Amino acid sequence: MTDAKFQVGAAGVDVDQLVADIRETVRSKMESGAYAGAQLARAERFNLQNLKRDENFFEFYLESLREAVYIDINDFEIRERRRGVGPLLVALKRSIWSLLKFYTYRLWSQQNQVNGLLLSATEEIDRKYRDRLKALEDRVARLESRTPP
Amino acid sequence: MPPARRIAFLSPRFADGPTVGGAETLLRRLAERVAAAGRDVTFLTTCATDHFTWANALPPGDRKVGRITVRYFPVDATRDVPTFLAVQNRISRLAQVTRDEELVWLKNSVNSEALYAHLRDEGQAYDRVVMGPYLFGLVYFASRILPDRTLLLPCLHDESFAYLSVMRDLFESVRGCLFNTVPERDLAARLFTLPPAHSSVVGMGLDPFTADAERFRRARGIRQPYVLYAGRREPGKGTPLLMDYLGVFRERTRQDVKLVLTGSGPIDPPPALAPHVIDLGFVSEEVKHDAMAGAVAFCHPSVNESLSIVILESWLAGTPVLVHAGGEVMRYQCRQSNGGLWFRNYPEFEESLMLLLTRPEIRQAMAARGKRFVESEYAWPQVEARLLAALDA
Repeated sequence: MTDAKFQVGAAGVDVDQLVADIRETVRSKMESGAYAGAQLARAERFNLQNLKRDENFFEFYLESLREAVYIDINDFEIRERRRGVGPLLVALKRSIWSLLKFYTYRLWSQQNQVNGLLLSATEEIDRKYRDRLKALEDRVARLESRTPP
Repeated sequence: MPPARRIAFLSPRFADGPTVGGAETLLRRLAERVAAAGRDVTFLTTCATDHFTWANALPPGDRKVGRITVRYFPVDATRDVPTFLAVQNRISRLAQVTRDEELVWLKNSVNSEALYAHLRDEGQAYDRVVMGPYLFGLVYFASRILPDRTLLLPCLHDESFAYLSVMRDLFESVRGCLFNTVPERDLAARLFTLPPAHSSVVGMGLDPFTADAERFRRARGIRQPYVLYAGRREPGKGTPLLMDYLGVFRERTRQDVKLVLTGSGPIDPPPALAPHVIDLGFVSEEVKHDAMAGAVAFCHPSVNESLSIVILESWLAGTPVLVHAGGEVMRYQCRQSNGGLWFRNYPEFEESLMLLLTRPEIRQAMAARGKRFVESEYAWPQVEARLLAALDA
């Protein structure tokens, strides 16, 4: 954050300008994908309630949902940092995992399906109401332009 | 109109210890200033110290605290906690409740028949009764006894409770309201019909202090930059949000920024952040101010504050603040002072904190503006003048 646009003027700082600059930086970084990932979506779990009145809430909420919706159910490498007993522990964990993964894979893949369907439904509701709202706003604007002063 | 000579202050608890909230502290401080101005001040309160149980922990009776006479009254034992919580949960969830249910909620909140009897029998002796905060049965029912002498200090938030029909009774029947900030007054004006002549913005004064950041760093062995939060640690104050944000901030930016916490309440940081949380619990005012002076920023993630004293203290300590944009009052104070930034979501939090970490000249300029703002707006002489004018109106 050494961007030249964040400046202290002769009269000191202008926090309105700073926040506007920060928001512009965030907007361009979001477009470039710098703020993506389930990690960020998780960070917002306590914040969604606070954003309800924000005009961009639903857009941001959907973005968070898209980032968090699919659980990683792929196989993963089992590691062990402890020396000595490490290989033994890895072998033990691998054998436990090989017994469990058939069942957990089935569960998580179903969960992913449900999550994906819910996300699609939410996106569709958003699109539908945005279109409807836009049509209503256009209609109100047309009617207002016809009303004599 | 002659000045109001005998003033009663009333709140569910008297601020005499570290566990009491900001509203009670505010009422006590105002009462002390009124007493120091030569008025006769009595503080009416309950014997409770715990705002969850409302158990009578202190003996009833009178006690002199400085120039103030504090009168403790027992909390009624008839409180039906499950009924209270059932209605409160419904109100919190924005469910529809009837007026009768609202009254049931208030009747099973904290109440003191002994205190009401005192107001009925001897209340005429008080020229004004200043009471708050607005959420408690005690304040609602006490306000009904001498409404023409009652000044409500509501500490109002934009929350579900403010929209109850009983709150309209409360705000519209009293003589006037004393608000902490302009946004709080504007919120009340949106929700209720208030006589403008009796709606004053008073606030709370702060005494100047000196703080030593190095003393704090040495004593605690903290060399890295840190973000500070001081106050109650609970979801309503946004502390889980702050911990999540700082955990992600550390992961994403690789900046070794610690989180220093003071105050009460359990904390449950994400595992990766836990080693970097320095929980000091209750500390003296001196330590708190030193901690403020050394912080990169004081972060207040709550969206429900009518006045944040710790933010004002932080500015006095020479530290800028970082607040949640949903907290209208704190955002207003940041804009008025030019002493703080506000964020709506994690990306804005990250950019704001990075700005404060990497641009010390901006950080220092914000801190200086914040300090100047508190010294001009929240110095006791100014607050006292506004308070006495409101009492005498």
